[in-house]
Amino acid sequence: MARNSYQTLLNELEEDVLYLSELVAERVRFALDALEDKDERKAEEVIEGDHEINRIYLDLEQDCIDLLALQQPVASDLRFITASFKIITDLERIGDLATNLAQYAIDAENDVYTEVDIRRIGDAALDMVDQAMDAYESEDTELCHSVAERDDNIDTMCNEASQTIVRDLMSGSDFEGDGELDPEEFLVDVRRLLLTVRDLERIGDHAVNVAARTLYMIDNDDSLLF
Amino acid sequence: MTGTNDPTNDEMLVETDVSDGLSAAESSVTDDAETVIESKDINVWYGDDHALTDISMEIPENSVTAMIGPSGCGKSTFLRCINRMNDLIDVARVEGDLTLRGKNVYDDDVDPVALRRRVGMVFQKPNPFPKSIYDNVVYGLKIQGIDGDYDQIVEDSLKRAALWDEVKDRLHESGLDLSGGQQQRLCIARAIATDPEVLLMDEPASALDPVATSQIEDLVEELAEDYTVVIVTHNMQQAARISDKTAVFLTGGELVEFDDTQKIFENPESQRVEDYITGKFG
Repeated sequence: MARNSYQTLLNELEEDVLYLSELVAERVRFALDALEDKDERKAEEVIEGDHEINRIYLDLEQDCIDLLALQQPVASDLRFITASFKIITDLERIGDLATNLAQYAIDAENDVYTEVDIRRIGDAALDMVDQAMDAYESEDTELCHSVAERDDNIDTMCNEASQTIVRDLMSGSDFEGDGELDPEEFLVDVRRLLLTVRDLERIGDHAVNVAARTLYMIDNDDSLLF
Repeated sequence: MTGTNDPTNDEMLVETDVSDGLSAAESSVTDDAETVIESKDINVWYGDDHALTDISMEIPENSVTAMIGPSGCGKSTFLRCINRMNDLIDVARVEGDLTLRGKNVYDDDVDPVALRRRVGMVFQKPNPFPKSIYDNVVYGLKIQGIDGDYDQIVEDSLKRAALWDEVKDRLHESGLDLSGGQQQRLCIARAIATDPEVLLMDEPASALDPVATSQIEDLVEELAEDYTVVIVTHNMQQAARISDKTAVFLTGGELVEFDDTQKIFENPESQRVEDYITGKFG
């Protein structure tokens, strides 16, 4: 009674989830490039591409619903489908955060707090997403735990960046030191930078969610979900 | 048979003690009061065919235990061991211990007819007798010479079988005039009229349409409040929906895994069970 067509559908779901993750990771990479290079064209590409991500996400959501309703999966198949169902939501949200970053790149008027290394934080967050999806593809529980452990690192980087900005704002040194900058514009740019840091930290959180769902999928282990 | 034979354990099974057997059963106490049926190393042969191999499990009281597995795996054979229906097959040979509340049902002093009063059975195909609905329900009581308020027993049994409202105005019409789902519920009413402790069901819904199937499934869950239900089904989703424990039999008459149903269907221990329930082999 080998259910070949069912197995094919499961394999296709995995391939499609991996494709979505590659697309999302590419958009985050583009957004980081846009922020670094002030490349508005690249930023607009990311924003326009969000529709494609949303469409794929909704298609995959429907695929999961169809599998649950029509195939009544159990055991490892059930865990794979339910984990994938949750993982695509995290991927779609990472895609939304990439559009946020791209929009910041378009809106940014001036470089503020250049000592805050957005690229470094962004690369670390992106690496966590890649690692979580590697764990999903290769069913590697150690990689899942590794992603979760790395979250502290990115949280620390984000906290340090935020503290640097807030301390400096409180001292008033940066603004006073640049007489040509409009105070309102400066504050808008600073606010944007803080949101950038927050969004990168959230990308890391979504990567941990993917790792947690993947660990459940592989080993029925929900320890990273709490 | 290697079962224990403690005469104080369960006198109701003894041939001479049929009439008041239930009270004896109710008063019997085992070390584990929650286990109603316990099998230890049950082996069954049909001639040279080894149909069941070393089956050991404990079936808890007031629960639904499902038996699943591919055709020919021995799940129905095991079910028929519980009320000694295999005795009716000349070439069948059973070895091992199978106890009902601590009393080995294969002991020499056990009367199979009395046993089957405690262990009712419902079959795949509804098989009402060509008699009235009323007479179908009281049939078991009459042939076993059990007196009682038959009207009340009929009403109670049909209510427990979720059939009363549909037939209360035509109790003296033929049971054969009912729909397939109603006939199966009538057979359930007939099985519970003698007030058994255990209900065995061999694919009770496989010949029914989806609506009748869901009625039977609801009924099975309700019956488990009063009875210990053991059900054989080919429908794994049905097992997942209605059972508390699931036993997975695989080819070769082997019980590969027996555990809580949720565990079996979410994270089975055995790779063979995983492969079977996910459809990778069968």
